Amino acid sequence: MTDARAVASGAPTGRGLTRDLRRLTGFTLKRLIALFLTILVGVYLTILIANMGGRVDDLRMVQIRGDVSETVRADPAFHDMSSEERNELIQRRVDLEVERLRLDQPFIVRSFDYLYRAMMLDLGRAEQMHSDRGAREVYWIIVERLPATLLLFGTANFLVFFVSVFVALSLSRRYGSPMDRTMIALAPTSAAPGWFYGIFLILFFAFVIPVLPSGGMVQAPPPESSLAYAADVIRHMLLPVAAMFLSQIFISIYSWRTFFLIHSSEDYVEMARAKGLPSNLIERRYILRPTLSPIVTSFLLMLIGLWSGAIILEQVFNWPGLGTLLFQAIGHRDTPVIIGSVVIFAYLLALTVFLLDILYAILDPRIRIGPN
Amino acid sequence: MASTPLLSVEDLKLHYRSSRGVVKAVDGLSFDIQRNEALVVLGESGCGKSSLAKTLLRILPRNVHHCSGRVMLDGTDIMALDEERFRRDVRWLRIAMVMQASMNALNPVVRVGEQVAEPLRVLRKWDRQRAMRKAAEVFELVGISTDFLQRYPFELSGGMRQRVVLAMALITDPELVILDEPTSALDVLTQASIMNVLKRIKRERGTSFMLITHDVATSSEIADRVALMYAGQLVEISTAGEFFRHPAHPYSKLLMASVPRLRQEQRPAHIPGQPPNLLAPPDGCRFADRCPSRFQRCAEDPKMFRLGYRRQVRCWLFAEGGKRP
Repeated sequence: MTDARAVASGAPTGRGLTRDLRRLTGFTLKRLIALFLTILVGVYLTILIANMGGRVDDLRMVQIRGDVSETVRADPAFHDMSSEERNELIQRRVDLEVERLRLDQPFIVRSFDYLYRAMMLDLGRAEQMHSDRGAREVYWIIVERLPATLLLFGTANFLVFFVSVFVALSLSRRYGSPMDRTMIALAPTSAAPGWFYGIFLILFFAFVIPVLPSGGMVQAPPPESSLAYAADVIRHMLLPVAAMFLSQIFISIYSWRTFFLIHSSEDYVEMARAKGLPSNLIERRYILRPTLSPIVTSFLLMLIGLWSGAIILEQVFNWPGLGTLLFQAIGHRDTPVIIGSVVIFAYLLALTVFLLDILYAILDPRIRIGPN
Repeated sequence: MASTPLLSVEDLKLHYRSSRGVVKAVDGLSFDIQRNEALVVLGESGCGKSSLAKTLLRILPRNVHHCSGRVMLDGTDIMALDEERFRRDVRWLRIAMVMQASMNALNPVVRVGEQVAEPLRVLRKWDRQRAMRKAAEVFELVGISTDFLQRYPFELSGGMRQRVVLAMALITDPELVILDEPTSALDVLTQASIMNVLKRIKRERGTSFMLITHDVATSSEIADRVALMYAGQLVEISTAGEFFRHPAHPYSKLLMASVPRLRQEQRPAHIPGQPPNLLAPPDGCRFADRCPSRFQRCAEDPKMFRLGYRRQVRCWLFAEGGKRP
């Protein structure tokens, strides 16, 4: 019953668009449910593993008893007690503490409680660490550090990503040129990690020619005006960003160049050339657009991947980010902070994957419409 | 009868650079196509047919070593045009093409209607509505429902995609359409219906076609003239009737004998041997090694000998004073 001519003359994309939108919504909902289940399972597994399936409770019982005995014995108010009375007091206090921490309940019951709280981002209190503002909540300890990490790694990644994609695109047009060969030759330099370059950069630009700060995020005391503060943060960011940029840019250009070379010999690209389309349109619509899904994927996965690489680099540059935090937490054996970082990481990962799924669907009609 | 041909090609050469040396894929071709004429270029795989098509539209791969010759389109030498002029004035507006492996010739993430209308939008600067209306027209011409304008390539079957690619080639009303193996990946029924579409377009619009194929049977449907290629060169060019009924060149004869026919008594013949290596084609006649009527002069390179009206054969047998079979 469809009038074909109406489509052609009336609203040319109207119907195609509604159909796409409807499928997109269905697709999004399905993915959202699947991802929620994934996080649930992931976080629960983290809880089980971090608590060694409940074995950590025994250690904590021992620790509580030890701590309580220590306090009671050290307190002069209880010095004249008989040992029986004192043991009773210790037992009472231990029971109280055990009840407070609900260690008397079976672990499996509590694990679901932990799960619920973790899912609600109620990460509990740190055992020893506190945030720069003095808060003991793990959530605040982590959230306070998040912007520093995001700022540094976000900047470096955006730079590496966009520079490499555009350089690669232009290199793929000049296959075999001296510039192309130089980039290929430089690619192996990326074998060294960012912090390795960082050490040399600090040596040169902070000590041999002292023009840039060797570490930290802002000078002490921090500048008053927000403009001067921003300028100072940028000054502190120069070296770590340069270190990351140096360590990734060449391999990144190299791999994108190969990627674009492969995709610019697709039949439809040749067809587009034969059709007399100008080369910038071919690049945009026939090379970049069909390959946007893998490009976006690698971009977001690179963002996630740097989380783990951040520990050493942040240490080298004394950057107050999540890497430094995790390093300190491991040093202090502050389990809630470690678990909290993992939970937040899981959330970020899931969020990224979700974003990717949606982007895939928007970018690639083969996924959006798919075989029903 | 001496009107200027629509397309006239003189001494066209295309050589590729490869790791083992220079490949002479197209080595000195000369032919012409009249208006409203269908020239079928026949040849085995690897004889340079597709390279010929690419050279005419100047979509050359990265490893081109040498490309020369004259291509006159309606009296102007289009090989002499600079890249930008060629793109703006010739590509698709005057010469369009249906590529080999058209299954992959459509951008997977752009709706087919957009892709078909694209040349008009870009080259003629038409607005969207007008271009889409025209796209709907050519869709009907090639026999696809206009519903498919909004579809993506992967939602279409192979035959449908082939028709879309054909529609794309016709949308600018080009004077010449080059079809590079347009039906070789399709089933017989679809092949037949596409050939019928081509015939109708030729009749109704006066379009010229250059059909490149290895499929003798299908090509005979539409051919006005036939050019047979062997190892980068033309070996025979003649009218379709003469070629299919009385092939002249020994290779043409063997080729025609190898086409299976219905209720044929003897088994279809095959041509012994392999086509020569295009890296180092043999001196003299390139077919000599496989030729049953080989004789002394075949060690020299034959030229195209005229044999009747618009018929030429590259074989010493047809030279003045040559040995007639």
